[in-house]
Amino acid sequence: MSSESSKKRKPKVIRSDGAPAEGKRNRSDTEQAVEIEDRRIQSCVHFMTLKKLNRLAHIRLKKGRDQTHEAKQKVDAYHLQLQNLLYEVMHLQKEITKCLEFNDSGVSFPNRLAEKYRECLSNKEKILKEIEVKKEYLSSLQPRLNSIMQASLPVQEYLFMPFDQAHKQYETARHLPPPLYVLFVQATAYGQACDKTLSVAIEGSVDEAKALFKPPEDSQDDESDSDAEEEQTTKRRRPTLGVQLDDKRKEMLKRHPLSVMLDLKCKDDSVLHLTFYYLMNLNIMTVKAKVTTATELITPISAGDLLSPDSVLSCLYPGDHGKKTPNPANQYQFDKVGILTLRDYVLDLGHPYLWVQKLGGLHFPKEQPQHTVIADHSLSASHMETTMKLLKTRVQSRLALHKQFASLEHGIVPVTSDCQYLFPAKVVSRLVKWVTIAHEDYLELHFTKDIVEAGLAEDTNLYYMALVERGTAKLQAAVVLNPGYSSIPPIFQLCLNWKGEKTNSNDDNIRAMESEVNVCYKELCGPRPSHQLLTNQLQRLCVLLDVYLETDSHDDSVEGPKEFPQEKMCLRLFRGPSRMKPFKYNHPQGFFSHR
Amino acid sequence: MERAVPHAVPLGQMEVFQALQRLHMTIFSQSVSPCGKFLAAGNNYGQIAIFSLSAALSSEAKEESKNPVVTFQAHDGPVYSMVSTDRHLLSAGDGEVKAWLWAEILKKGCKELWRRQPPYRTSLEVPEINALLLVPKENSLILAGGDCQLHTMDLETGAFTRALRGHTDYIHCLALRERSPEVLSGGEDGAVRLWDLRTAKEVQTIEVYKHEECSRPHNGRWIGCLATDSDWMVCGGGPALTLWHLRSSTPTTIFPMRAPQKHVTFYQDLILSAGQGRCVNQWQLSGELKAQVPGSSPGLLSLSLNQQPAAPECKVLTAAGNSCRVDVFTNLGYRAFSLSF
Repeated sequence: MSSESSKKRKPKVIRSDGAPAEGKRNRSDTEQAVEIEDRRIQSCVHFMTLKKLNRLAHIRLKKGRDQTHEAKQKVDAYHLQLQNLLYEVMHLQKEITKCLEFNDSGVSFPNRLAEKYRECLSNKEKILKEIEVKKEYLSSLQPRLNSIMQASLPVQEYLFMPFDQAHKQYETARHLPPPLYVLFVQATAYGQACDKTLSVAIEGSVDEAKALFKPPEDSQDDESDSDAEEEQTTKRRRPTLGVQLDDKRKEMLKRHPLSVMLDLKCKDDSVLHLTFYYLMNLNIMTVKAKVTTATELITPISAGDLLSPDSVLSCLYPGDHGKKTPNPANQYQFDKVGILTLRDYVLDLGHPYLWVQKLGGLHFPKEQPQHTVIADHSLSASHMETTMKLLKTRVQSRLALHKQFASLEHGIVPVTSDCQYLFPAKVVSRLVKWVTIAHEDYLELHFTKDIVEAGLAEDTNLYYMALVERGTAKLQAAVVLNPGYSSIPPIFQLCLNWKGEKTNSNDDNIRAMESEVNVCYKELCGPRPSHQLLTNQLQRLCVLLDVYLETDSHDDSVEGPKEFPQEKMCLRLFRGPSRMKPFKYNHPQGFFSHR
Repeated sequence: MERAVPHAVPLGQMEVFQALQRLHMTIFSQSVSPCGKFLAAGNNYGQIAIFSLSAALSSEAKEESKNPVVTFQAHDGPVYSMVSTDRHLLSAGDGEVKAWLWAEILKKGCKELWRRQPPYRTSLEVPEINALLLVPKENSLILAGGDCQLHTMDLETGAFTRALRGHTDYIHCLALRERSPEVLSGGEDGAVRLWDLRTAKEVQTIEVYKHEECSRPHNGRWIGCLATDSDWMVCGGGPALTLWHLRSSTPTTIFPMRAPQKHVTFYQDLILSAGQGRCVNQWQLSGELKAQVPGSSPGLLSLSLNQQPAAPECKVLTAAGNSCRVDVFTNLGYRAFSLSF
């Protein structure tokens, strides 16, 4: 600014100007100059202040204007919104009044709706007509399909897909009573899905089955039926009470004319034939079993019970002996006709095992006996696989035992090559006898009391006596064979006759020998499915007897050499407080030690 | 002939196996807890079961009180011997001795406090330990068994201090003469040997089978059990049960028992013995048989008298052997009941 530049210059001008004229009017000039200077400075300062204030005023004004502008914009926006909402409200109100007017007046709908309605109706008629046409078409197909099926029969046979046969079976199956039907369906399904070795068939007379459902007088009124029969057959004299009762019993135990046959084929071509019956009045199922083999079996004497129809399937599941009816309601029926137990009739009727009932979908809960037990498919399906597998295992283990018994009766313990390692090469004690004994005889033996008291000697088990000899020593072994062999091990009880009679009650080593075969049986199982267990146990018994006799401590008072010189390699003869003999055989080193 | 057979629940594989195990079980050793209320029993499967004597003897005892409070697998092999100190249970059998804390033993998953194995000579087979003996004066434990030596172990440090050799066959039993202190050991070689612990030397040998009055050659010469009371010693096994006067090494009384005895102990003025045969035999010092009380096992291997002062109500005699049961005699005259594994 010019005032500033003048302000800058002024001190110079003052000095240059003031210097020459100073001599005369010194004081008053200088005083004036100073005053003027001061005043100028002041005025400059005032000017600056003024400018500053001006500037500030401008800025404030600007700010104020901006703020006002913002606020105005906001207000405008709200105003707009308000306008919009008001407009909407107005519009809606108009609509409402319109609708109200419509409702009140009941004036006809706009045309478009009516049109739609008419269209739908006509569509519906069209579709109905189409359905008719298709139905006719399908019904005309039926005879054509039949002819095709007939024509395809030779092709089916050629390709081994007997659909026709299956179809016929299903036809017959319709006449089966519900439990047999459940069994049939589930077994067929299982066979097709999981097990090709299972075949299912229906036997019996379909006509008789149909006859059951004809005029009700024939089947329901037992007495009149039996009376009628009796009148026809014995006109001579009045039938006795006994005969009446007998007939009533027969009626109660009557079987349905149809039965279901299941054939389970095993690896070695042996077949388990199962025939399932349904006892109508008792609402239970029974089964008859038969085992046939590829080659004819010569049955050794002791193997009589192994495959007999009566006992081959006994205790398939623990405790399921099949000698009592599983349906608690039957007991009341039995009381009326004087039947004590179903046991007397099982040979003829088949066994009412619990698993058989389950396969037929029948469940008899003990706690709440039910009036009508209905056949349930899911119960059957859930038990099918396990039961079929158990059946196969049972047949195969029995057949294996059958073969082994033939050998045992000849005094040879058949040890397979993959089990040889369990025993030393030289075994001197020999099996000289293997016979079956009766349950009562087992109970009478004096050295089997412990087993009997422990509840391990039930009448469902099979009992045998083995005799092992060496020199003058005779070892008797009473064997309990549980039907669940080989998952349940045979149990041995020993009695040694040599220098007196020794059993587990007076000789700790005899007790140890029993333990070696009874408790340590898992080592003797051999390769799955453990068919070698019994024979391995017998062979071990022979080895144990060898050890026992050879390690007998020599009695100094008796003259002469020991009857059995020690041939077995043992690290030590006796060990522990009970002075145990070294019964444990170590392979492949071949020496005996203690457990 | 109808026999009353207990009606069995259908037995599956597991039940049959467990039943067979129980039938073939042998209880070798017993030990009473320091408080006197519990009894430990060791069997041939290596298991130790702890029974509550106080519960079984109380008036509200039920059938479950006769079962163990806890059973655990202690060793791989049979538990041939057990003793209790004032805080620990020591068990041995298959060559090792293990210690358990009595205070912890009732809890599930109890682990051993420590385990020690004496320095054995043989390496082919691990020798068994048949007898354990506590020597309170020197706070040590003596072990003896299959390797024919007596080993002493200091209970404080766990170090094996002595190995006493002299037996020519394995050792069955040990007994302590407090005064000297001297240890007696009896073995399969038919000799009873006396050892002085201070000098670690054998000071006396009695070869029982060489004495005609007590030898029984048809049973063998092994000494299965020993007990001592000041100057007297009673031993049995193959030879007849005989009472000896130690200083003179002479047999003073021969007890007329045909069956070999496996355990013998002095009690008040009687001698109690048990072995082959069902009964616990009570003898007068004169040799007379005072009583024979049958137990439930066909043969007995160990007797235990609970004389712990802390539990006078549990003062009983317990006997165990060739079965899974421990017979409890509240009064020496009859068997009150049996505890069972």
